[in-house]
Amino acid sequence: MKKVIALLLAFLLLMAAVPALGEGTLRVGMECGYAPFNWQQTNESEFTAPIADGSGYADGYDVQIALRIAQALDMKLEIVKTEWEGLIPAVISGNIDLIIAGMSPTAARKATLDFTDYYYQSELVVVVKKDGAFADAKSLDDLSGAVICAQLNTFHDTVVEQIPGVIHDMPRENFPAMIVALKSGAIDGYIAERPGAEADVMANPDLTYIMFDAGKGFTASDDDTAIAIGLQYGSPYKDAINELLSAISDDERVQIMLDATARQPLVTE
Amino acid sequence: MTNLPTTFFSWVQFLLDKYGEMFLRGTWVTLLVAMTGTVLGFALGLLVAILRTIPLPKSSKWRQLPLRALHILLNVYIEVFRGTPMIVQSMVIYYGSMMVGIIGRGTPVLPAAIFIVSINTGAYMAEIIRGGIISVDVGQKEAATAIGMTHWQAMVKVVLPQAVRNIMPSIGNEFVVNIKDSSVLNVISLNELYFTGKGAAGTYGRYFESFFIIACIYLILTFTVTRLLRLIERKMDGKKNYTIYGSQSDSQSSIKVSEEAEEA
Repeated sequence: MKKVIALLLAFLLLMAAVPALGEGTLRVGMECGYAPFNWQQTNESEFTAPIADGSGYADGYDVQIALRIAQALDMKLEIVKTEWEGLIPAVISGNIDLIIAGMSPTAARKATLDFTDYYYQSELVVVVKKDGAFADAKSLDDLSGAVICAQLNTFHDTVVEQIPGVIHDMPRENFPAMIVALKSGAIDGYIAERPGAEADVMANPDLTYIMFDAGKGFTASDDDTAIAIGLQYGSPYKDAINELLSAISDDERVQIMLDATARQPLVTE
Repeated sequence: MTNLPTTFFSWVQFLLDKYGEMFLRGTWVTLLVAMTGTVLGFALGLLVAILRTIPLPKSSKWRQLPLRALHILLNVYIEVFRGTPMIVQSMVIYYGSMMVGIIGRGTPVLPAAIFIVSINTGAYMAEIIRGGIISVDVGQKEAATAIGMTHWQAMVKVVLPQAVRNIMPSIGNEFVVNIKDSSVLNVISLNELYFTGKGAAGTYGRYFESFFIIACIYLILTFTVTRLLRLIERKMDGKKNYTIYGSQSDSQSSIKVSEEAEEA
């Protein structure tokens, strides 16, 4: 019994005594499960960054941006694979320096989190079944009467209402869940961003996605459709990152995204 | 791109080929956290249970004060850690201590996860053990006190061994619950089995196949653990040809009138 208590105390002390990380490491948080923005793989390559506790390597558009930032700041990059809900507490507590996880700088998040400039601007599309009633839709009006859903806790859920006569189904937690709902017929379509939709359609050939004609798609503020890097208010990295981002042109961003999409596990099989 | 799997099981095979190593790693992390967390939580629960059963000194009301304060503290601990979700506890403890500077940034997640699971389990275990102690005949404690044992000796040498044997199924339950609930620790970046499966599902867009693999692994883990605990129970019971009279854990310990006795 006494040995057990001693062991317990030793554990607590061990945890408290662990020294803070060396200054040269940049810790970036992401979910690593959302190709082509961020994903996890077992093999290393020149495009990957190591995941903090040794469970593989991360790759994707977000990782490419992180690598460029780490290079500019002359720091070593480490990816901290964290579940979405834990990302904001992680950066507030200082466990990670940046959130590069496809997070949009919404007004609600800005209350606790500071954001850099956008590092990607995406296009909203609707993923539907290839043989479904809405496969040939070209504008929001064409989707009238459809059962549409979006991801929980994202701005996607707010744009669903822009479809006239839509049946707004309850939000799902993640994209795999929405794919299941679509395939089973529970919904007619779900909202996604173009790169993600591209990946989903590649894995599921019975699905396709609708790109709207110019001006006929969803209206969303820039702050909602673009993604930015989250950091603490007063972070020393903000200016350096903004400077770096302004040097990456839109064309270059599209190219990085296309390269990442070409590298993602589904395509390389 | 042309040789992507098409059927359910070919996708399962595919995911195992690609992610097998990571699934194994996640399984190991889950098992380590659950096992260590349950064992340490059990020890913590034992300690708390023993402290709660210390008899109040009969001399004066003032002498009782420190013990009453301890009881209140322990009750608060149990209520708080049973009454709040482990996911909230994990974020408050891990990120909260980081914010006030108790632990540095980048503190390894594994010891933190084990710590969190232990404290959480300790609260549940304290109540389970209390139930076990109640189930032991009060005569045991009285007899132990009568022959001069201190409270600590009586508890550790007489009451608890019997109580623990009675509550083994509940302990097995807690272990199984911890194996599955360790998945909520993915919010503090613990790369356990569920989080790995979610990563695989998200990367390849295959929800059913990935979580089918994960479910099977969880099933194997919990099944093995419950069987092992059953084995430990049998060891605690001792040999079959020796029955403890009046034992509440053994159904065969009633007195049977045998044929020979009747003839005599």
